[in-house]
Amino acid sequence: MKKLILTFALSFLWISLSVASDPAFEKAMKKQIIAMDQIANAEQSKEVANGFLRIAEAKSEEWLPLYYAGLIHIEAAFRFEVNKDQYLDQALKYIEQAEKLAPANSEVTALKGYAIMGKISLDPASRGQNLSPQAMQLFGKAINLDRENPRALYLMAQMEYGMAQFFGSGTDKACGMVRLSLELFEKEESIITEDYILPKWGKRSAQQMMNNCN
Amino acid sequence: MKTLIIFIFFFLSLSTISFSQTKISGKVLDEKKKGLPGVNVLIKGSYDGSTSKEDGSFEFETEVEGPQVLVFQLMGFKSIEIAIHCEGNAIQIPDQILVEAITEMNAVTISAGAMEASDEKKSVILRPIDIVTTPSAMGDIVGAFQTLPGTSTVGNDGRLFVRGGDASEVGIYIDGMRVGNAYGSTAGNVPTRTRFNPNLFKGTFFSTGGYSAEYGQALSSALALNTKDLSIRSQGDLSIMSVGGGYAHTLSSEKQSLTFSANYFDLKPYQSLVKQNFDWERAPNGWDIELSAQKKLAKGGLWKILARKESGGMEIWQPEPGQEGRGQLIRLKNKYSFAQSNWKNAFENGWILFAGAALSSNFDDIHIDSIRLERKNQLAHGKFTATKDFSDRLSMNTGLEYFNHQFDESLVDLNFSRDYVDHQFYLFTEWDYYLNKNLVFRAGLRAGKSSLNKEQWLDPRASLAYKISETSQVSFAAGSFSQMPVENLRVLNQALNNTESNNLILNYLLQRDGIIFRAEGFYKGYENLVVFEGYPQKPQNPTNLGKGYALGVDIFFRDRKSIKNTDYWVTYSFVDSKRQFDQYKSEVQPSFAPKHNFSLVAKHFILDFKSQLGISFSMNDGYPYHNPNDGEEMSSKTESFQSLSFSWSYLPKPNLIIHFGVNNVLGRENVFGYRFAQQANSQGVFESIPSGLVAPRFLFLGIFLTLSKDKNANQLNNL
Repeated sequence: MKKLILTFALSFLWISLSVASDPAFEKAMKKQIIAMDQIANAEQSKEVANGFLRIAEAKSEEWLPLYYAGLIHIEAAFRFEVNKDQYLDQALKYIEQAEKLAPANSEVTALKGYAIMGKISLDPASRGQNLSPQAMQLFGKAINLDRENPRALYLMAQMEYGMAQFFGSGTDKACGMVRLSLELFEKEESIITEDYILPKWGKRSAQQMMNNCN
Repeated sequence: MKTLIIFIFFFLSLSTISFSQTKISGKVLDEKKKGLPGVNVLIKGSYDGSTSKEDGSFEFETEVEGPQVLVFQLMGFKSIEIAIHCEGNAIQIPDQILVEAITEMNAVTISAGAMEASDEKKSVILRPIDIVTTPSAMGDIVGAFQTLPGTSTVGNDGRLFVRGGDASEVGIYIDGMRVGNAYGSTAGNVPTRTRFNPNLFKGTFFSTGGYSAEYGQALSSALALNTKDLSIRSQGDLSIMSVGGGYAHTLSSEKQSLTFSANYFDLKPYQSLVKQNFDWERAPNGWDIELSAQKKLAKGGLWKILARKESGGMEIWQPEPGQEGRGQLIRLKNKYSFAQSNWKNAFENGWILFAGAALSSNFDDIHIDSIRLERKNQLAHGKFTATKDFSDRLSMNTGLEYFNHQFDESLVDLNFSRDYVDHQFYLFTEWDYYLNKNLVFRAGLRAGKSSLNKEQWLDPRASLAYKISETSQVSFAAGSFSQMPVENLRVLNQALNNTESNNLILNYLLQRDGIIFRAEGFYKGYENLVVFEGYPQKPQNPTNLGKGYALGVDIFFRDRKSIKNTDYWVTYSFVDSKRQFDQYKSEVQPSFAPKHNFSLVAKHFILDFKSQLGISFSMNDGYPYHNPNDGEEMSSKTESFQSLSFSWSYLPKPNLIIHFGVNNVLGRENVFGYRFAQQANSQGVFESIPSGLVAPRFLFLGIFLTLSKDKNANQLNNL
């Protein structure tokens, strides 16, 4: 009897551990994710990225904190007066670490394409030739890995839109893609709860792009 | 049951331990003792930590207890870790100093003599795309480099001439492997081109002197071309040009890619439409096939193959000075093969290993009137290198090389032939030491041995670079370079030794957003140059008794920023060179080394027309030549060379490019020298014929279409 109870207790403990993986981790992540939405300058961006990096350091098997550290660096390169090339290179470094932990992950793949898109934007004339196909390939791969990933589709639409504008070839395809991505964003929102720590950014930018389409 | 209670109690007790808070504060400084903001301060293994403020100070609380490790991290700096003990009391950490890491991004690089074309690195003079978009280059790699400082344009030759050196003094490498006969075979003052298509390469390193110990057998310059890594997309590329056409097909997957291409060209239809200065019997024509493959191996290795086979020819009448009629008929047939394979792997422990093998084989069949000459030149090259960064300050590159060089020439009808085989062995090592991120020293040594003339030699090289400010730096380089004489002289006297040059170079480089200014001064001493009796077509008794020098300054300015959608560069090179070589009895200014060289390249993008317009202008003060009617050697000079080129690239659709180009738009009658009769005529005058351009202008029209099944490819393509 004693043995049975013990086994029961142990197995229960094991189950509860595996379901609620790590509340401390989730709590720390949530705190940083909230802080991430408040970023208004380069210093704050650094602070929040550092927060994620501390989590990544402590939980070396998790890809998510590295993902966010990468995302913050990319956004900082777009938004603030920083050494943009250095920030994007650093972002790529974090993303490559995340890739090792989560190979064939749609979100990580799409983010890598986003970072490369940033690199192109700094010197399109000379980098476009080499890097544009790389970015497109990553977005395509990310879509194939997860057809429900709105960010992969939105980023691809961004890229298509830029190209279509350049060649004056009509933005129908790009606009169709961003419309589809907005549907996916809606769908994603329906499953987002308070405890949701997976990537959910991008809807606002997609809507802005949609406005240009209409 | 008791066990269970103990068990539960144990867990309960764990969760009810009251954590005491430890406050940790301190300050992080940089090497100049200034506060360092943005540093990530954390306790290893916990989520606790903070970011340092503007003055470098930080403060946070933690619930962990006991001995802990405090980590300081900042992008671009070396992390530090210190041991602390948390026990609830506030801890004041002594000031911590973070040292900036020396990385590729922030460290000074040696720029003496060096010019890089790359998308990835910062200190680039040229981008790979510039090679295809420089109007005067007409898609030729070397044509684009002729607009860079330290080079001179020799319009009736087409090859690269660097700082008073002849064309053989430039060594051309693909992925570190030497390419034999990199230029197409030519005859009778028809300029040549590089055999390789610029689209093969992702980056180029061009040195006009003082280059790395990794390269040798080139007195003036090393041109290192690096092939592309894995292709991303499967696609077909079709080109239709005014001079021929071709098709390339690429197959690609995650781990490997393969490109096969075939091209055919024939200038005959073009020449029947456009007036020629030369008297063609058969216009230049030829075909080539090429295969390149890349494969990613397990453990991060990359394996590459490049193989090419081509065949071509031309027939041309060359008028003889002082004689009536069409002159000599020169017929040339050429067969060429190049194959190489290389493997490179960067290991986790910091070692990078490279192994490569290459074979170049060239066969020329030349008829000069009734004389038939066959020439075979074959170069095999094997190479192994090991590179290692021992720290962020010290790195090493060491390697071993073997060359097998076979040359054979014969007068077929006379049953006369001569040949040689040379085995060469090389060992090189080069060390870089960063005193700090602003000062680097490099020392290299290259040892060589030749089986043919039993010579052994040692070439020491050294350079340093110092960063004056965030945007500017100076570098200095000195070194010895050795090169075996050209094949047709070596075969006459197999005991000929290396020719030698000693370089001194001082370089200043300024780089700001979109602006590059580069100035370089150099001195190059030549020893053991080959002199012979007779004349270049029929040399006799070659010996190593020649010598000479070249000194000069070159200036380069590139601006991609000041004028919207416009990118331009201006180059001026001054060379003062005199050398005793070939048939000359005294030190003379060589015909290929004009004193003042100027070039301008400008490209303007017009978005509304989806077009890029380009112009380039080159000029020099004239080529020296020897007039036998004049007593002194090489005392005459041609008129100034001037050439204006124009190009227009139009992109109507992402996968379609239409390119139109004209060389020498103004049709200026440039003269590169004169050929004189061997004998004086009855009036005692040596008659002459100018060596000029093949045609007053060269026009090019090409349509390049990319086809791909990939649905994205219709949106984006290799422009």
